[in-house]
Amino acid sequence: MAPRWKWKGAEAKALAEPISKSVSELQRSLAETESSGTLSSCNVLLAVEPEQAELLDRCCFGRLVLSAEKIKKWIQLSFEEAFFLHYNLKCIKISLQGRCLENEVDTWLYMKSKRPNFPMFFKAYSHLRSKNWVLRSGLQYGVDFVAYRHHPSLVHSEYSVLVQSGDSDRLRVWSDIHCAVRLSGSVAKTLLTLYVNGNFKGESLNLPLCLENFTVEEQTISRWSPELSREDESTISKHVPNVSNLNTL
Amino acid sequence: MEEKDWEVSSSSDNEAGFPNDDDEEFHSGGSVPKLQFRVGSSKARWIAELGMAEVEVKRGKLWTTTGIIRSGKTYCFIEEALYLSEIGELQILGHEDDLVIPLKDLYEKMAEEKSGCSWDNYEVYRYLKGLGYILGRNGISWTLKDAAITRPNGEEESACAGECLEDKDTVTKLLGDMQICDAKAVFDVYLPNSRFKKSSPGEPSFVACFSGDSPPSKEDIKVLQKRIAAPLMFCHVAQGRASFFSFSSIDLPVLP
Repeated sequence: MAPRWKWKGAEAKALAEPISKSVSELQRSLAETESSGTLSSCNVLLAVEPEQAELLDRCCFGRLVLSAEKIKKWIQLSFEEAFFLHYNLKCIKISLQGRCLENEVDTWLYMKSKRPNFPMFFKAYSHLRSKNWVLRSGLQYGVDFVAYRHHPSLVHSEYSVLVQSGDSDRLRVWSDIHCAVRLSGSVAKTLLTLYVNGNFKGESLNLPLCLENFTVEEQTISRWSPELSREDESTISKHVPNVSNLNTL
Repeated sequence: MEEKDWEVSSSSDNEAGFPNDDDEEFHSGGSVPKLQFRVGSSKARWIAELGMAEVEVKRGKLWTTTGIIRSGKTYCFIEEALYLSEIGELQILGHEDDLVIPLKDLYEKMAEEKSGCSWDNYEVYRYLKGLGYILGRNGISWTLKDAAITRPNGEEESACAGECLEDKDTVTKLLGDMQICDAKAVFDVYLPNSRFKKSSPGEPSFVACFSGDSPPSKEDIKVLQKRIAAPLMFCHVAQGRASFFSFSSIDLPVLP
């Protein structure tokens, strides 16, 4: 599926302001002010300056917490978003109950204790974020994330993302497949599964370093309608983008 | 009476009162194939040892896209025989005598699952054939000169001296088959094509695979993809409906 830009100049605007550039700016700005986020249940609350709130929004990290406060803005980050800023971009500190967690491992262990499948989800999240895709919560669509090629104000999301691993119970029966594909299709997205390979048990999981031993395989699942495809070979090969178009007589 | 393929004959009055507002049961556009049951014109003889029928009388163009040719003779698989019988195009005769084998017995033969095609496989076969697609068994050539016919129950056919190409493919396929895989590639599917030739069918548009009661595992998909060049479609048959899903490995690009 080709990206669906939301308005006429959107694609050009996206080209002019690539996500990677916005992320670098954000990284610099947050590091300069030594921003620190506070762990609270399954979120991280970050106090930032208005310009920084702008930058966070431009890169789609977090949600603005509306408040009357004018000098500072409060942003609510998910574990994935916070840990990406903290561990991958190294531009925010994390504190718990007033105490700064100096060691990345402490944050990792806290997050893992609150959400046992955090390691798997974070690997999937950082895999796509590192390729400069924008990821947001997919809860509205019954999936884990939705992936955008650029800012959601410019483009519709192309992929609804489900995270899987060897242990997980996702998509184990046919009705799960029918359901996920149908949901995705009804909102004009392709279903993308991110299969995280790795050992999710044992001591190694206590260090974020274990992330380097995980790999992610991407796979799309789509439904093909035989009634619609009789004339046109390309509708079949469209479902299988890595296979070249083979001509029949 | 209008003579178009699939038009209902005016003698079936019960069609008139058929409710057609339940879109769960009908294809979109209301284009349910209406079958005309002519008295079977083609004839084939069932050969139990082969699990196939040898065609003796051919009528109609359907034989350009049905049946395999071995040493000049045409044979059809259980699904082809059953489908053609269901639509009234073919009569299957008994091995010993000329009595027509009734549908009931053909269904029973299919249930025995000794001829390489299960009921689920057949539902897909029937559905796609009805839409005009051309289907052959994966791994079995449409035509081989000078080759004897052998049992088509998932084993590779033995090639003869004349067909060297077949030897290499057979060995590769046998090696591939040694990997254990719960999913099976069953049919090569071609788009509707009035100029289809068994002597050079070209590559299929896709290969219909079955993984049974559960969706295919990542590993099974990889095993099949290594073995088969064409796109794979996994079929799920339930409640008399066939759905087709493709599972494709991709690599999202790194964005600017």
